[in-house]
Amino acid sequence: MDLLLDTFAFGSVILSGVVRTFQCLAIGGIAFLIFIALPLDRRAADDALAPRTLQLTRMFVWGLLVTVAMLLALQVTILSGTAEISLGEALGGDFAVAQIVRLAGAILMLILLYGRKPPAPLLAVLALIDLGAGVATSHAMARIDARGLLIAVTALHHMGAAAWIGGLPCFLSAMRRLPAGALRAQVGTRYSALSMTAVAAIAASGIAMLIYYVGSTDAMYGTAYGMMLGTKITLFFGLLALGYCNFRVVRGLAADPSGSIMRLRRFAEVELGVGITIFFVAASMTSLPPAADLMTRDRASLTEIAQRLTPRWPDFTSPGRDSLAFYEQQRALDEQRAQEGPLTLQAYVPGSGIPLPRNAEDIAWSEYNHHIAGLIVLVMGVLVLLEKTGKAPWARHWPLLLIVLAVFLFMRSEAEAWPTGKLTLVQSLQDPEFIQHRAFMVLMTGFALFEWSVRNQFMRNAWAQYVFPLLSALGGMMLLTHSHSIANAKDLLLIEMTHMPLAVFAIWSGWTRWLELRLDGTARTIAGWLWPIFFCLTAVTLLLYRET
Amino acid sequence: MRKYLRNLVAIAVTLTLLGWAAPALAHAIIVSANPTADQHVAPGKLAIHLEFNSRVDKKRSRLQLTGPAGDKTDVPIDQAGEPNVLAGTTGDLAPGAYVLRWQVLAIDGHITRGDIPFAVGN
Repeated sequence: MDLLLDTFAFGSVILSGVVRTFQCLAIGGIAFLIFIALPLDRRAADDALAPRTLQLTRMFVWGLLVTVAMLLALQVTILSGTAEISLGEALGGDFAVAQIVRLAGAILMLILLYGRKPPAPLLAVLALIDLGAGVATSHAMARIDARGLLIAVTALHHMGAAAWIGGLPCFLSAMRRLPAGALRAQVGTRYSALSMTAVAAIAASGIAMLIYYVGSTDAMYGTAYGMMLGTKITLFFGLLALGYCNFRVVRGLAADPSGSIMRLRRFAEVELGVGITIFFVAASMTSLPPAADLMTRDRASLTEIAQRLTPRWPDFTSPGRDSLAFYEQQRALDEQRAQEGPLTLQAYVPGSGIPLPRNAEDIAWSEYNHHIAGLIVLVMGVLVLLEKTGKAPWARHWPLLLIVLAVFLFMRSEAEAWPTGKLTLVQSLQDPEFIQHRAFMVLMTGFALFEWSVRNQFMRNAWAQYVFPLLSALGGMMLLTHSHSIANAKDLLLIEMTHMPLAVFAIWSGWTRWLELRLDGTARTIAGWLWPIFFCLTAVTLLLYRET
Repeated sequence: MRKYLRNLVAIAVTLTLLGWAAPALAHAIIVSANPTADQHVAPGKLAIHLEFNSRVDKKRSRLQLTGPAGDKTDVPIDQAGEPNVLAGTTGDLAPGAYVLRWQVLAIDGHITRGDIPFAVGN
């Protein structure tokens, strides 16, 4: 039963991110329909605007319906199993009622969206109901102080995100299908106005949430919540920069409706990708205690952070497997407990795995893994740069080094786990980190084969070249919520601190490579040089990685 | 070949999503507790008082006590009182080592568990 519950709990974390993404896409689609597609549709020559927007929105609402149903089923099963109450009792919980309301709302939305003329006011009401029910499963609902205010600002935050990022697929579709001219320029202008309003809502509500959920500078830098929020803000500023570039293109279209929109479409694609990354970060943050709630002793100090970030020459010697804590088991744990006293934060989510004891050799083992990985990635980055000079065509085989990296990590990560450790495959699968790392290895091999085939022109399909950048960005997104099962807030933070820049560099490396493939002219050249630089920065971060 | 590659991409994306980790820390955390971890309490009835950083659904939360012999008993939760406090009173406790396992359902749907080991007597 415990394994089943652990697996279910693990699934619910994944689903929360997917639900959040579908919610934004569905509400964003409805906003685009109401404010742009329906009012301008009479001027569209064919089905380029409203019918296509309806089609996309229906798809997103279906996604919302299915994923909310799955999430509800998982949450209720976990609650019923762990609290030993009936499924009926579990369904009576506030969160379950909120999800049931969302299901009913999504069904009504679909009925309206399949109609000939969907009534805009009713759709708007249903979108607001989903938004409200979504807020009922956010931090705001469970707060003790300033609850009403936080519910309001969270709703505003979600609404802004949905209107801006959630509306992007419909905007992209309209821009691609509409012929150059006044109507296309008008769609651009209206979406631009909607996005700017949404950005103002996100910024204003974000500041309010920052004050209540973080509250102080030391909570911002000294907690995992604050650090995740900082990363989210960094990505948000990246989105703003892209949005500003698009704003300039839209302004140009108002003067010359037949102007090129290629750059606008490409930047909007990246905006959508980074935006979805932010949704997943936000979804994972709802499972962390707000920074303001952690006491000073659970926060990392500036001195501790500076100590951890001080560069140190990477160590390329590995301890022996037999000296690792797993094999010494309780002895090390008992000593640590005796020295440190009781942990100050004894809480975990079912499914987060049981923390293993860690000794100095474990740390050296982990650091060695990161350093060797950094070295391999650095060689790859340098080879990419060499290939770009045009003077070293042999350097195009750099993707094969990813297979070397995957094999290395397969042998080295989770020394106690399957296949080289003592744990069986089933036991190993109970640790989320094991699944994460193995998923990474499969991804890396996939990266390697795709990119190598593309670069050597064995694979000529146009879409194949996008696999590498997309999976890079996905890998970064995954790393951004990568967590180490340590029941100590401070240790967790200090390790996460080094993973976050890695993730951000991987995300931007992926998206700048995407831009290189999708753009032309100077912008293509700039993007082409930027992505290997992000790649090298990832390598340097890995080389400097340390856990002490 | 194209179908094969498409399947590979689908598998890779699925694996990426499956790789999503459950955060090690939970949403609802204890702000103050009685008993505290490793505390020694006097024999007899024990008033449990756990204060959290968020509102909890008391009907769907649980307090379970594991005794020195490994026997498990549920402690009834008081439904009245502050919305962020789980309180209850145990039966008579004999000297020995105990573990209080709490599980709370925060109002927003997050489940958190924790263990508080304590001892009765010296």
